[in-house]
Amino acid sequence: MSVVKYFDLYFKLISAGVRAQLQYRFAFVMRIVGLITSYTGTAVTMWIMLYQFQELGSWTFYEMLFLFAVAVLSWGFCIILFFHFRGLDTYILNGTFDRFLVRPINPFFHFMAMKFDVGAFGQFIFSIGIFIWVSFELQLDWTIGKSLFLLLSVVGGILIQGGLLVMISALAFWTTKSEQFYWVAMFPARNLTNYPLVIYPKAVQWFTAFVIPFGFVNYFPAAVLLEKETPFFPENIGYYSPLVGIVFFAIAYSIWMLGLKRYKSTGS
Amino acid sequence: MFRFRLYWTFTKKAFLRSAVYRFDVWSRLGSNLIFLLMWGSIWTALYAGREEAGGVSFESMLTYIVVSQFLTGVNGAGTPLWEIQEKVRTGDISLELMRPFDVPLRYLFADFGSVAFYILTALLPLYTVMFIFMDLTLPSAWETWALFIVSAFIGFLIRYCIEMSFGLLSFFLVETGGIVDVFYFAMSLLSGSVIPLWFFPGWLETMALYLPFQGIYYIPNAIFIGKITGEEILLSLGVQLFWAVSSYLLLRFVWNRASQKVVVQGG
Repeated sequence: MSVVKYFDLYFKLISAGVRAQLQYRFAFVMRIVGLITSYTGTAVTMWIMLYQFQELGSWTFYEMLFLFAVAVLSWGFCIILFFHFRGLDTYILNGTFDRFLVRPINPFFHFMAMKFDVGAFGQFIFSIGIFIWVSFELQLDWTIGKSLFLLLSVVGGILIQGGLLVMISALAFWTTKSEQFYWVAMFPARNLTNYPLVIYPKAVQWFTAFVIPFGFVNYFPAAVLLEKETPFFPENIGYYSPLVGIVFFAIAYSIWMLGLKRYKSTGS
Repeated sequence: MFRFRLYWTFTKKAFLRSAVYRFDVWSRLGSNLIFLLMWGSIWTALYAGREEAGGVSFESMLTYIVVSQFLTGVNGAGTPLWEIQEKVRTGDISLELMRPFDVPLRYLFADFGSVAFYILTALLPLYTVMFIFMDLTLPSAWETWALFIVSAFIGFLIRYCIEMSFGLLSFFLVETGGIVDVFYFAMSLLSGSVIPLWFFPGWLETMALYLPFQGIYYIPNAIFIGKITGEEILLSLGVQLFWAVSSYLLLRFVWNRASQKVVVQGG
């Protein structure tokens, strides 16, 4: 099947999903309100910290907000595309994963297009609001080049975080567990990157740059855009963010396909 | 009549059940450590080499965060909120309503069991090692230790009652997302779990001091590092007790209303 057809199919599948979710208006609104509340909570926490101390590892409050908003924006897209991957273990245990294998399309694609979480609008509203506010406060000059770079690094961020979600879900092929790995590993790790990596021990910084490349989701790109230094790392390393994203996601995808080959249905 | 032995059975069973799910214990400990690393690094960077800030030494501040993270582990080891809500949503809660025990108390006592297991096998060994190898300040008087434990226990009860009350809201609302998020925000910020109240802007500190959340982390932590001393400790414990009773009454009220209003969804 051609790429164009896959695109067409993706939009058909998700538009059905969106329509289904919009049937529950109240739940839809509450979810978005909830997400915005909890992100605002993190922002308020940052504000109180810097109310007394002014800066955190040479990052000011508005710079930290910007850093945070970059992460939230790419995470919003990630929720739409990949967040449900963490629940692959439930499909495998219940035997319902088999239905993704019996159709004439790529199982990875099929699983990906299965769900579209409208809650992500909460992330979009929050992060775009922050971008506008911070741009005024720091008088950021959004040239075409800078805007394009932000866009590309958000794509990089989606691929990196999505890649990790895909890797975590692939664990279910071997261990029949995945959801839990998300909550104990990726959720805390994502929280780490809400703050500038420079404050962490060197080993942690190195790990988040080259092993699980979360540094490329927001820290390195934000440092480029705000013209901040990234000690211990080459200057402007943030420009590699889209490339890192592509490579990391390709690795994740191959691991997932490898797991799929190994997959044996549960039950009798 | 309170039948202690009946509820104690739940404690014992929950303790044994936790022993089966070893993976849960280890993974929970892992994420607890990542958050400890995060907050430890943040406070190190905020102090930026200063010996003291706001009248509190760096060593005491680091101790505050470590103790707070320990208590976060303790408070997070019970039945999670979503599990209760899931029971309400699926209707499984009706099975509990039919049985001859009080549901809020039954979950509280079960939590004692799973929390005890988690403390004994994971938190205590790890944090003991941490206190030995890190430059942290330990209380010298045994009274301080005793008062800290009492205060932490009351804090646990406050947290349980408030969290359970929020969980039971799913009897009235099908979607509780937004409300639960406000609760978690209040729990993490206004409780002083990551930023001590003395670093808050004045108006926010006043607000936090009028709310129950300070009793969960701030008061026990502050007792531990000696920020609250002498007679002030008794006053703080009094405040905690007041909130423990109030939040228990709130839980009772919500529970009475909720158990009368079982909405049957589906056929």
